Amino acid sequence: MSSVSLFNVTKSFGTADIIKGVDLSIRDGELVVFVGPSGCGKSTLLRMISGLEEITAGEIHLGDKRVDHLPASDRDIAMVFQSYALYPHMTVAENIGFPLKMAGWSKSDMDAKTREIGDVLQLLHLFDRTPKQLSGGQRQRVAIGRALARDPKIILLDEPLSNLDAALRVDMRMELARLHRELGATMIYVTHDQVEAMTMADRIVVLRDGIVEQVGTPLDLYLQPANRFVAGFIGSPKMNFWDARSDENGRVVMPSGLAVAMGDHVAANRSLTVGARPEHLVLCDEDNAALKGTVLAVEHLGSDTFVQLHCGIGDPSQMDVNVRLAGIVRVSIGDQLALTIADQDNWHLFDGDGIRLDPPADRVA
Amino acid sequence: MKASLTKKICIYLGALVLATVIAVPVLWLFIMSISSSTHLTTLPLQWWPDAPTFENYRNLLVFAENSPSASFLYGIRNSIIIAFAATGLSIIAAIPAAYSFSRLPGPRRKNLLYAVIAIFMLPPVAIVLPLYTVMSALGLLNTHFALIIVYCSILLPFTTWLLKSNFDTIPGDLDEAPIIDGANRLQAIWYVILPIARPALGAAVMMAVLLAWDEFFYGLLFTNDIRAKTITVAIADLAAGRVADYGLISAAGILAAVPPVILAFFMQKTLVSGLASGSVKG
Repeated sequence: MSSVSLFNVTKSFGTADIIKGVDLSIRDGELVVFVGPSGCGKSTLLRMISGLEEITAGEIHLGDKRVDHLPASDRDIAMVFQSYALYPHMTVAENIGFPLKMAGWSKSDMDAKTREIGDVLQLLHLFDRTPKQLSGGQRQRVAIGRALARDPKIILLDEPLSNLDAALRVDMRMELARLHRELGATMIYVTHDQVEAMTMADRIVVLRDGIVEQVGTPLDLYLQPANRFVAGFIGSPKMNFWDARSDENGRVVMPSGLAVAMGDHVAANRSLTVGARPEHLVLCDEDNAALKGTVLAVEHLGSDTFVQLHCGIGDPSQMDVNVRLAGIVRVSIGDQLALTIADQDNWHLFDGDGIRLDPPADRVA
Repeated sequence: MKASLTKKICIYLGALVLATVIAVPVLWLFIMSISSSTHLTTLPLQWWPDAPTFENYRNLLVFAENSPSASFLYGIRNSIIIAFAATGLSIIAAIPAAYSFSRLPGPRRKNLLYAVIAIFMLPPVAIVLPLYTVMSALGLLNTHFALIIVYCSILLPFTTWLLKSNFDTIPGDLDEAPIIDGANRLQAIWYVILPIARPALGAAVMMAVLLAWDEFFYGLLFTNDIRAKTITVAIADLAAGRVADYGLISAAGILAAVPPVILAFFMQKTLVSGLASGSVKG
C-alpha cells in the first residue's frame, strides 16, 4: 500500500502534447478512477505511473519514494491489462505464480501464495487449465490474481471490464470493490464508462485532452461539476444545457423568458450557460416555467418516466430536452408541458468559458 | 461445408500430382542407388534392377582411407558441425535482433531491417572474391570456422525476418505484462515471448539447417580437402572423377538426406504448426 503523487507530469510524442502538466495526489488505500472520453490521455497517464511509458517532465512519487526514473519492474506495482495479457503457454497457477517466480520465491512459498490467491478469487478448481480453456470472466479473475500475487503497493487497472458482457461486468465490478475493501490496496482504475466510475470510485479524476478537469468524490462531481465538460460527462442521461444571459439585476434569463434571481455571484449582463440534470426538472404551472415544449417521446419504466421534450425557442441544438420524472407520469406524445428546475441548488451556472459560477459558500451541498 | 464430388476429385488429383512430383525423383534416386553400374548403363532401361544391391551404401559407410567413404563420412561430419553451428549462432543472434525490430521504436531501426534484406538479396558471386581474399589473409580457408561465419551471414537475415514477422503477431501487452510482473527485458523474452513463438523458432531452425546443409557455392570455393569439405562438395567430387559412378552418387544423395530428415522427424509437430501459422498470419 502506498500513496501516489504526480507533480506537473507531462508527456509529449514529438510535438504532440498528450499529458499537459498533471498534478495529482492519491491517498493510501484509495480507489481512484481516471475517466474521460477516448483519447483524453487516461491510459497514457496510467502507463506513465506504471513505468511502461516514460514521462517527458515532472515527478512521480510512490509513497515517499520518487520513481519516475525507475523501470516498471522496480516500482512494485501491479497492473491488470484490458486484454488481460495472460501467458497463453502457462497454466492458471503458473500465471498467478509468475511474478513470484521473477521475485525469486521458493517453489513451496510460491505454491502456498498462489493457492491463497486462488482461494480468494475462487480459481482453485481451474489451476491446471490454460487461459484458452477459460471463460472471459475467469480470465479476468486470473489477471487480477496475477496482479495480487506480489502484494503490490499499487494496483493499476486499465479498462479491465470492457471485454466482458454487461451482466458479468456488474458482477466483476462488485467483486473488484469487495477486493479493494478486503485488501486495502491503493487502486487506480481507468475507464471510459462514467457509470463504472461513479459506482466504484472513492474519488474520480476527470480528464480531457491531457488535462485534469476535476478531481472529487462521485457526488462532488455530480452535485458541483467544476465546468461544463464535467457536468456533461458525469450523469446519465446527460445534463441539459441552455445558453442564457443575466439581466441588469443579475437575474438569469432563460430562453423561455423566465428570469430567476440566483444570487450575488451572478454578475449583470453576462452570457451564461445554464445546466440542469434530467432528474431535476419538474412539472410546474405555465407562469413559472423555465422551459415549455411539446413531448416528442415518452418511455415508461415504472420507476421513472423519461420524456424527450421539444422547445421551440433558443439555440436549435438545445431545443430537445431530456427529462426524467419520478414514478409514473401520464403524458403522451404531443402533450404540452411546462417545466422548471426543482431547487436552486440544481441550477448549474457556467460562465462564457464554461467554468462553474460558484454559489455563495453557505449553499454548498 | 459439403464439397461436391468434382471438387473432391480435383483436390485429390492435385494432391496426387504434387506428391508424384516430389516423390518420384527420390524414388528414382533410390532405385539408382541399389542398382549396379552395369545395370544403369544397359539398354533398354529397366524400372527395377534384377539384382538389387546395397553395395553402394556399404562403399560409402564403411570407412577406408582414400576412398569415396572417407570423403563422404568426413563430408557428413563437416556438414553437421557447420550447419548446426551456423544455425545455432544465427538463432542466438536472430532472437534479440528480431525482437528489437519487432518491438522497439525508431525509424533508423526500420531502415536497418531493409538493409538486412537488401544484403540478403546480394548474389553470392558478388561477394565471394573479397570474402575469399579476407579468409585467405586470415588463414581461415579450408576450416569449419570460415564456412560457419559465411553461412551465418546467409542464415541470420533469413531467421531474423522469419522470427520478426512471427513476433509481430504476439500482442504488445504480452511484453509489458512480464515487465510489470518484475521481469527484465531478457526474462520477458525467455519466459514469455520465446515459448509463444516456439513453432516459428522450430521452423526457423529447420529452414536454417536445410539452407546451410544444401549450400554448395561457398563450400566448394572455401574448402579443399576432407578436413572441411561439406557433404554437397563431397558428392560433387564423386561425380568429378574420370568415370562417374551414378549408383554411388545416388546412394550418397539418399544418405545425405538422412540427417535433415531425422531432424524434421523430431521437429515435425512444431514445424507444421509454425509453417501453418506463418502462412495464415502472413
